[in-house]
Amino acid sequence: MFTHYLDLGWRSFRRTPLVSILMVLAIAIGIGITMTSLSVYHMMTVDPIPQKSEKLFHPQLQTMDDGEEGWGADNLPLQLTYKDAVNLYNQPFPDHKAAMIRTGMTITMNNSDLRPFIESVRATHRDFFSMFDKQFIYGGPWSEQQAESASPVAVISQELNDKLFGGRNAVGEQIFLDEISYRVVGVTQDWKTHMKFYDVNNGAFLDHEQVYVPFERIPAQSIDTWGNTQGWKFENINNFKDKLQSELFWVQFWVELDDAQAVAQYREDLMAYMQQQQALGRFNREKLEFALRDVNTWLDYREIVSEDNQILVALSFMFLAVCLANILGLLLAKFMRRAPEVGVRRALGASKWQVFMQHIVEVSMLGFVGGLLGIAIAQLGLWGVRVTQDRYESLATMDMSMLLSAPVIAITACVIAGVYPAWLVCRTTPATYLKTQ
Amino acid sequence: MLEIKPIFNALRRSKVGAVLLLIQIAITTAIVSNAAFIINDRITYLNQDTGYPEESIFSFGVMTFGKERDISQQFEEDEAMLRNMPGVIDAALFSSVPLSGSGSSTSLRLKPEPQKSRTIPSAYLFADEHALSTLGLTLAEGRNFDINEVLVTQDRSKLTEVAIVSRAFLNEAFPDGDGLGQMVYMGDAPFKIIGVVEHMKGPWLKSGASDNVVIIPFIQAQSYQQIVVRTAPEDRADIMKQMEDKMLAAYDKRVVVNVIGLDENKAQYNASDVLMMRMLMVLIVVLVAVTALGIFGLTLFNISKRTRQIGTRRALGARKSAIIRYFLIENTMVCLAGLLIGAGLAVWLGHELISRFSVPPLSHTYVMITAAVVLIMSLLAVIFPARRAARISPSVATRSI
Repeated sequence: MFTHYLDLGWRSFRRTPLVSILMVLAIAIGIGITMTSLSVYHMMTVDPIPQKSEKLFHPQLQTMDDGEEGWGADNLPLQLTYKDAVNLYNQPFPDHKAAMIRTGMTITMNNSDLRPFIESVRATHRDFFSMFDKQFIYGGPWSEQQAESASPVAVISQELNDKLFGGRNAVGEQIFLDEISYRVVGVTQDWKTHMKFYDVNNGAFLDHEQVYVPFERIPAQSIDTWGNTQGWKFENINNFKDKLQSELFWVQFWVELDDAQAVAQYREDLMAYMQQQQALGRFNREKLEFALRDVNTWLDYREIVSEDNQILVALSFMFLAVCLANILGLLLAKFMRRAPEVGVRRALGASKWQVFMQHIVEVSMLGFVGGLLGIAIAQLGLWGVRVTQDRYESLATMDMSMLLSAPVIAITACVIAGVYPAWLVCRTTPATYLKTQ
Repeated sequence: MLEIKPIFNALRRSKVGAVLLLIQIAITTAIVSNAAFIINDRITYLNQDTGYPEESIFSFGVMTFGKERDISQQFEEDEAMLRNMPGVIDAALFSSVPLSGSGSSTSLRLKPEPQKSRTIPSAYLFADEHALSTLGLTLAEGRNFDINEVLVTQDRSKLTEVAIVSRAFLNEAFPDGDGLGQMVYMGDAPFKIIGVVEHMKGPWLKSGASDNVVIIPFIQAQSYQQIVVRTAPEDRADIMKQMEDKMLAAYDKRVVVNVIGLDENKAQYNASDVLMMRMLMVLIVVLVAVTALGIFGLTLFNISKRTRQIGTRRALGARKSAIIRYFLIENTMVCLAGLLIGAGLAVWLGHELISRFSVPPLSHTYVMITAAVVLIMSLLAVIFPARRAARISPSVATRSI
């Protein structure tokens, strides 16, 4: 029966090509515009590490004096001070944790005519790789021992490995970072996610770092941040040592907590840590405050989806509504004109339900074709987005879920628009039309 | 003679079509007026005067990794070399580049720490006595830095004690207008305001305090430095191309990055606003087109449904113009109702946007202009089918009876 309805739908399309094309165009443009803004929105909000996002937590400590205003919605500092990050890292619980900063270094090679260049570098702890499921092609993270002795060892990205070593196994090779010789211990696979969820301070959609060095190199080499540094009180900071001792916020910190019990215990640990620090004379506050947010809550809190994009998504759905009203009108015109024919069919024994279904199938066909055309239009739109803002290069694309949802949304929208006209048609009383034949 | 009453009665008998038209017009009005308003807001923002001759200025970053040379001295030599290049008007080291979206800001105080004081948020730039000339700025009042006031050091504990500020900063700090010559403090470090620039912008155009800028004569030798150069606009591209080689020829243990014109730098910072503007423009054009198409289609449908009726009217002596008028009036009635609802919807949408996002309140002129445009557009969309209706021959009425 279904194929018969498809055939009828196709015949109907051929009989009134102009109206049909208009409807397909309307739904295609509506879907195209909506999918353009929705795709960018989707890529901004998609879970960057779905297999672990509920186990990774970013603690925030309220270390500012009473009355000082912070940056987030709840006035909590967005990053940690260096000393808090180090202290929290040195606590026995939990097993997996990593402090980190983004920095930059000049890369040179010993005997090569390669021009020196700058890459951004992440200084972090060795658990970073396992916590964020970063896969290695060659080698692995540096050892506990190398970290403790602040050894000049580095993990490089696949991309950099291709550039410097032509993609061969570079483990054991030397690279020079700011003129200091580092030994490559591992080469990581490039990230699949476009979102730098572990450090959104400089824009959540910047490129990932190409080089990773032990966090312990920070004091050893006076490695300063390339990210934001925020202060809330006046401190005389004259050199890097002062900065390490200061109350400035510039370090990100993540922990891995496997279950609710671990979360509860870590919350207690954080509170105990703050009380201990208060006893040592910090935190001039009545009430000690902290927060522990997992990946998705953290991204929500940091409002990484731009306002503009939310406005566009809202407006484009309203636009889709206009397209639907339009299609509804055209469908009414089209179906009602067919009433005499339907009258005959009804008289020959077709049930109301069959007539209704026939029209719904026809409408779905329109939606399907419109959806496919809409994907093409959305691709055009996304291309426009990429051209306008190159930072959106990896954001302005449609992933599989978006590609699949485009025809689904299109068909659903068309069916919604088609229900009323189809219902009107199937109510046709055969008698009226038989008379005039 | 307008046949409003009979048209209205006829409309009541075919409600669905009219209601659909009404919905389309209402939503269109709401979206278009808000989108047009946001677009205009962005255009005003993007075209604002920054105070700088953006087409004649460019900047670049230098990352020095060599350790054997004294960085301060190296950059003094670099500056001299750049200033002597043919085509270069002036050049200077800056701690951050205006309009680039990256820099430093602080709250300056009217009294030194630890005294309680009113604070003024402001961006600050470290640069030397060539700063104003390099940025193409002129002093409105006061004097420029003296060469002896410029501190070149690796130690941040020392600070120079003078500053040049923007008018906006001065007015905020000293609303009584006696700011020139007064002191402001960064922490406990004092600065005497010796000069005022009428109009200059800091690194962040979107910040609320983008007009507050303080220039401090201080060169801090660091491994990463930024240099700003001003040339004649026609020479800029040529000089930009030579920069990397010139700098590396002077000392090669460093990397030159991000050689970029000030206008381009600003454009990168504002890329998302341009994107928003373009997307809204596309949305408006397509929306208006789809709505016009909808009106067009619906009128055609109405006419085909009423062919016999129109024929009868013509047979009874109605003029062609009367038929056209009928459809125009019918459309106008629906359209006006739609516009009325649409205006309300537009205002509501404007309120929703304000409550959720940082957009300015919708100006009602935009709603009215949009309503007028939508009305005209709808009349245009009706005229063609209405003229076709008018051509219906009176004989149609008699034929099928």
